[in-house]
Amino acid sequence: MGTPLQLDEDMDTQDAAAGAPPRQSMRREQFTFSGTGREYFGIWIVNILLTIVTLGIYSAWAKVRRNRYFYGNTRLAGGSFDYHARPMQILIGRIVVVAILIVYNVAATLDQRIGGVLGVVFLLALPWFVMRGLRFSARMTSFRNVRFDFTGGYGGAFLAYILGGLLTWGSLGILAPIASQWMWRYTLDNLRYGDRPIDCDPRLEKLYGQFVMPAITFVVGLVVVIVLGVTIFSFASGLGFDFEEFSSDFAVAGILAAIYAAFLPFFLLFVLVSLLYSAGARNVALSETVIDGQHLLASHIGRWRYAWIAISNFFATILTLGLARPWAAVRMSRYLASVTMLYSAGSLDDFFSTVKQSEGVVGAEYMDIEGLDFGF
Amino acid sequence: MVSEATAGRLIRGVWYAPQTSRAVEASLVLETGGRLTAQDEAGAALASCEFSAAEVSDRVGSIARRITFADDSVFETGDNDGIDRLLAPVAKPGSGFVHSLERFHPRLALFVVVVALLAVAIYRFAVPVLVEVAVLVTPPVVPVLLSSSTMATLDGTVFEPSKLDAETQKNIADDFRDLASVSARGSDGYTLNFREGGHIGPNAFALPDGTIVLTDELVKMANDHQTVLGVLAHEIGHVDHEHSLRQIYRAAGVTGLILLIGGDVGAGVEDILIQGSALLQLRHSRSAEAEADRFSIELMHRTGNDPLAISRFLELIRDKLGDTSDSDFLSTHPATPSRIEETRRYAEELMAAATD
Repeated sequence: MGTPLQLDEDMDTQDAAAGAPPRQSMRREQFTFSGTGREYFGIWIVNILLTIVTLGIYSAWAKVRRNRYFYGNTRLAGGSFDYHARPMQILIGRIVVVAILIVYNVAATLDQRIGGVLGVVFLLALPWFVMRGLRFSARMTSFRNVRFDFTGGYGGAFLAYILGGLLTWGSLGILAPIASQWMWRYTLDNLRYGDRPIDCDPRLEKLYGQFVMPAITFVVGLVVVIVLGVTIFSFASGLGFDFEEFSSDFAVAGILAAIYAAFLPFFLLFVLVSLLYSAGARNVALSETVIDGQHLLASHIGRWRYAWIAISNFFATILTLGLARPWAAVRMSRYLASVTMLYSAGSLDDFFSTVKQSEGVVGAEYMDIEGLDFGF
Repeated sequence: MVSEATAGRLIRGVWYAPQTSRAVEASLVLETGGRLTAQDEAGAALASCEFSAAEVSDRVGSIARRITFADDSVFETGDNDGIDRLLAPVAKPGSGFVHSLERFHPRLALFVVVVALLAVAIYRFAVPVLVEVAVLVTPPVVPVLLSSSTMATLDGTVFEPSKLDAETQKNIADDFRDLASVSARGSDGYTLNFREGGHIGPNAFALPDGTIVLTDELVKMANDHQTVLGVLAHEIGHVDHEHSLRQIYRAAGVTGLILLIGGDVGAGVEDILIQGSALLQLRHSRSAEAEADRFSIELMHRTGNDPLAISRFLELIRDKLGDTSDSDFLSTHPATPSRIEETRRYAEELMAAATD
């Protein structure tokens, strides 16, 4: 404690500016994650087993136990986080969301016009789901007995999740930093810890600073993939393969395999670049987050290391038919905690919970089932 | 550390006043009579209530336990074993059951095996049963709506009105009615539509309400009345076995099951599973084709038509569209050479049985 921060374990030491050096009087508190793959394995396999045996009903209890394990093992300054949602709430939320999705899909199958109209309604309702979902998750999360709250509205969610997405894809990623500025501002600046505000204002020039390296990686990777592809193709042609003949002989399987093989490098490149950028954006956003006007958050993810952990986790899970998933999930949480810290200006004792009631679980379950992931 | 004198009766931890983040060193005691009390270092009570009015959080791994008193103040401790021992006399039976299953123990290997077996069993047995139930309870209006919207879409995008001459259409339609009249839904249960196929070319398909579509291109390619009838009998088979409804339900059911465990396997793996189940879906569609082939052979045989018609059609596909692959892993229709062989064998078997 109290030592100057030095956590740039990787080659990309981008963080001299992102982690604004805190004042001398501040105390450095390190986030830690104390869960283990061994311990989580049991929770995980029992979650899956009971979910299957109860035809899905236990999945609500499974979610609560999973979240409690990960939140409860995340510690800071001697205190821990906790997750307070009740399984029954989650179950009802899930049933409502599944009913909505069934009605939507049935209507869309039966009549495309109704489907189209409902699609637009859904798109407009999405920010509302996101807003309620974030609020539910915040209110169900506590640190040292004090709950978080979320005060974001519809407009901000629309900007961050609908327009931001359109902007990113429409500009082929060039405007992604604007979208991530909206996103982080919406999710963090609207967050409250007990009765105190949390401010987050990631500056655009810093986000663009994180954009350069992934963009260069993308261009270089693209050139490499294309050059390699053309070389292999012309080499094979030179050996006398007739590709017309080739494809008709191997019919559908051959063609599909060729398509997958051709697209896989591009897909992997895209995933890699997204991981590199999102890690950099998290560094910028968290490092410009201030709690109660005095405690500073900081994040020092090594971007290549983060991408390596995410990608190797994925392949480890696939190659072990899922059995490595607990280890992978714990490994990622452990890493993220180890690169996140709080510079506290004083005691963390004087916060008060103001949230007593909570509703809006439907939004949270919608996000969960649709795979929207936020992770405070 | 718990002192000897109070071992099992006193747990160390911290206490938070309601809604505050200030942690106070405290210990928890269970008094005789079942009253829980959090007390400070000096032994003064910070909070106290009956056990039944307090809420004890479930044990999950080794995360801190929270005991919430009736006044909303909270006692928190990492001493999970201590809490379990302390509360054992008053705790509800079965309260630690899930945690006891989750403990690291050789039993977990058994759970892995059971999960794998259950997953296979659900996919192979439970999903088909659920699909059958769903098909049974589907009101008749659903297939009608499904079909009319599909037909409207195809007419608006792909199809043109048929350019076959009226006589050809009438010949086919008459014999189609004969085939239909001996099928499960009777001659009114099926509607034959002629269309020009546009870019879908030589094709025929069936919709779940009995609508059957035949493209001009297929009639021209077959260039033989019996062959066309064999294809139509195959489509009637799809309708009678309700293949399209089953396919919709199976896809929805399997995707739903994957979504339920989505949170436990991670988003990347979830996507892979959904893609994989779509590939496995092709297997069902291949068995549906084989079933419809057999149906065609039987129906043609029963109505005095040529049971070999469908085999001839498959040979046409092989010759004209160059489908000669033996690999059928990724296709919705079984590889043509094996399908031709199978249909030929079955038709000859039927004919031989009839002459015996």
